[in-house]
Amino acid sequence: MDTFIKDYDKILKKHSALETNDPLDRLIAVVNEAREKIRADPSSVNTSLAALGKSVKSASQTISDEHKEVQSALTKYSKAIDKKFTAEAMSPINLHAFDNRQHILRKTIALHYIRQGNFEIGDTFAKASRVLSVKEAGLDIPDTIRHQFVEMFDIVASLKENNLEPALQWAKRHGNELEKRSSTLEFKLHRQKFLQLLEARQTQEAIAYARENFKDFGARHTQEIARLMCCILYMDRINSSPYSDLTTANSSDDIQHMFTRDFCRLLGLSYESPLYVSLTVGTQALPKIIKVASIMKAKKTEWSQESEMPVEIPLTDDTKFHSIFACPVSKEQATEENPPMMMACGHVVCKESLNKLCRGNTTQRFKCPYCPIEAMASQAKNVYF
Amino acid sequence: MNKINHDQLLALEHPFIKIPVEKLKSSLRTSQKYIEKEIANLTDKVAEISKKSAQGTMDLNQVEAALEAIGTRLSTLKRKLKDSRTDENLYSQRTKVRLQHLQDFTSISTLDSDEFSRWSRVRLNRIVVDYLLREGFRETASLLAKSEHIEDLVDIELFAQSAKVEQALTQQSCAECLQWCKENNSNLKKIKSTLEFSLREQEFIELARERRPQEAIAYAKKHLTPWQETHMKEISHVMGLLAFPPETKCYPYKRLYDKSRWNDLTALFRSNNFALQFFTPEPLLNVTLQAGLAALKTPMCYQPQNRNIYCPVCDPETLGALATDLPLSHHFNSSIVCWISGQIMNEDNLPMALPNGYVYSHSALAEMAKLNNGKITCPRTSAVFDSSQMKKVFIS
Repeated sequence: MDTFIKDYDKILKKHSALETNDPLDRLIAVVNEAREKIRADPSSVNTSLAALGKSVKSASQTISDEHKEVQSALTKYSKAIDKKFTAEAMSPINLHAFDNRQHILRKTIALHYIRQGNFEIGDTFAKASRVLSVKEAGLDIPDTIRHQFVEMFDIVASLKENNLEPALQWAKRHGNELEKRSSTLEFKLHRQKFLQLLEARQTQEAIAYARENFKDFGARHTQEIARLMCCILYMDRINSSPYSDLTTANSSDDIQHMFTRDFCRLLGLSYESPLYVSLTVGTQALPKIIKVASIMKAKKTEWSQESEMPVEIPLTDDTKFHSIFACPVSKEQATEENPPMMMACGHVVCKESLNKLCRGNTTQRFKCPYCPIEAMASQAKNVYF
Repeated sequence: MNKINHDQLLALEHPFIKIPVEKLKSSLRTSQKYIEKEIANLTDKVAEISKKSAQGTMDLNQVEAALEAIGTRLSTLKRKLKDSRTDENLYSQRTKVRLQHLQDFTSISTLDSDEFSRWSRVRLNRIVVDYLLREGFRETASLLAKSEHIEDLVDIELFAQSAKVEQALTQQSCAECLQWCKENNSNLKKIKSTLEFSLREQEFIELARERRPQEAIAYAKKHLTPWQETHMKEISHVMGLLAFPPETKCYPYKRLYDKSRWNDLTALFRSNNFALQFFTPEPLLNVTLQAGLAALKTPMCYQPQNRNIYCPVCDPETLGALATDLPLSHHFNSSIVCWISGQIMNEDNLPMALPNGYVYSHSALAEMAKLNNGKITCPRTSAVFDSSQMKKVFIS
């Protein structure tokens, strides 16, 4: 990439030379010069004109040469791009997968921007779409969702200014629901407030605040509360103390993150925008898909009609949302008809593989393919991931 | 697994770099052609003046006036060039910014870094702008580009001209598109485009529809015959229209008269236009989104009891619906996700089976047991067990 950019810089230099050292200026100068000369010495008119003819020719030659040079450098560069960014045909898996679903796609996009707090984009887009096709509006995003996200971004804005009040009120209002999801948001907010007070050297107020607010969390956060109370002793040299992690700066980002995550969760939405997740996974998957598609094309086989992808696309841990069980014996994915079965030893295979291993006799002892333990197929148990 | 393969991902950015470079090339060529034409003219003029002056048919005053005229003309040329230089600078600057953007990308090393997610977000916005432009939401596209500060990373201007042509086609006028064909003649030949012929055919069809045979024949003579070597069959077909009224049921004339042919023309123009400017034929949003959805799609996404709110495909209202006609992901390897915590189960966090066969991660069950005096409640069946009843599961 470095040399690639350097090559471009060279072209750029040549190109800007066309402007700063414009040969047209030279040409104009030459013409003016001839004019002056003729005026000063009318008898030289013919020789002057002949000289002008010559210099015009040479000047125009330079102009076109200089242009051609930049031009050919660019052509070369453009070819180099094709080589570096190997341009395999980028086509969708199924050309018609989104047919008649454009309105859903638009809705997904509009929702994405509402969720990002970019309400203006969501709104303009929704408006433009409605004008375009009243029939398939699709962008009938309920106002409630919008209002909820407006609320969320208002609270986040306050958090950014270290104002915890709106977030605390929200957490209190939704205490029960948060509790059910074993969220620690409310405690974390109180903790932040406490640390803020300490950092402002309002020790008395901090202790009063702790008394008032930590008591409900005693059972769940005993140790943490003990640490918090103890750090008061070291407040003057907190950074060199065992409590150096307890600064508000450290936890401010975490709190914002935690708040948005819990907020979305109560709405039944994921923290990350689904469009973002899908596109990020898609970007990582594309190289492999393009490669397979080109191999398939070379072999003249189609796969877009198939119900399953021809290759495994590895996912990062944070984008694995469902348990996938692939039978280690048959390499097939488990289904409802062919569920995963745990043998007595704890190893899991799919039902069909199990039947093969015991040769159809469920009371016949056989050895597990992965450990020395022998057991009967009848002892195997259906498991649910 | 979390390492980024830069070359693979950079390969996807071909249009991103290619588009502005080609644009720079073509605007440079335009100004070059213009300059060459002007200079050829100038050389001729100078030759003429010196010839006339030598012959004595031009006196001093005339020579001086002629030279002054040349000077003015050159200044005009210089001024006019300024406009195309502005264009050139826009694209050369844009290429530079984009190269830098990719350069920044190569310094990101892992998929789980903040830098990568920032890059991905920019990429998402780029892709969405491209989609919006193709779908005709130019206002939204500009707004988005502006609010995300990515004006140099998207190609909003390039859609201005094509939007005009497309609009004309939807209003059943070929003139604008024919003009476009003329401007891009040599490049269209390179990709073996038949757009111009199809437009000519359409104009002929419209004349036939209006029952103006004289004009139709004259039109065909002028505009269809140049294509006889390659399109004789089509020409004879459309000529047949003169014998059939627009309401004919006779194939293939019925099809030629069909108004939907205009939509085909628009589609043909679009694909030619994209090919010429090095855009991908389909929006990158569709390409990328389909790849992502197919990689994520599992049978569980469509089973309400297995729905995961974090999974994009699990939303039946939006992405789940879009994924309907896409293939399922394919896996040779197991990866077991804890239903309670969403964590991946592995050697560090073993899967544990409860007596009812439901499997959860050790850490989630241990935490539950800790808070409930050693009791575990299966969240999917509400059955209660003692923590001693859980059993290690081995996934090989």
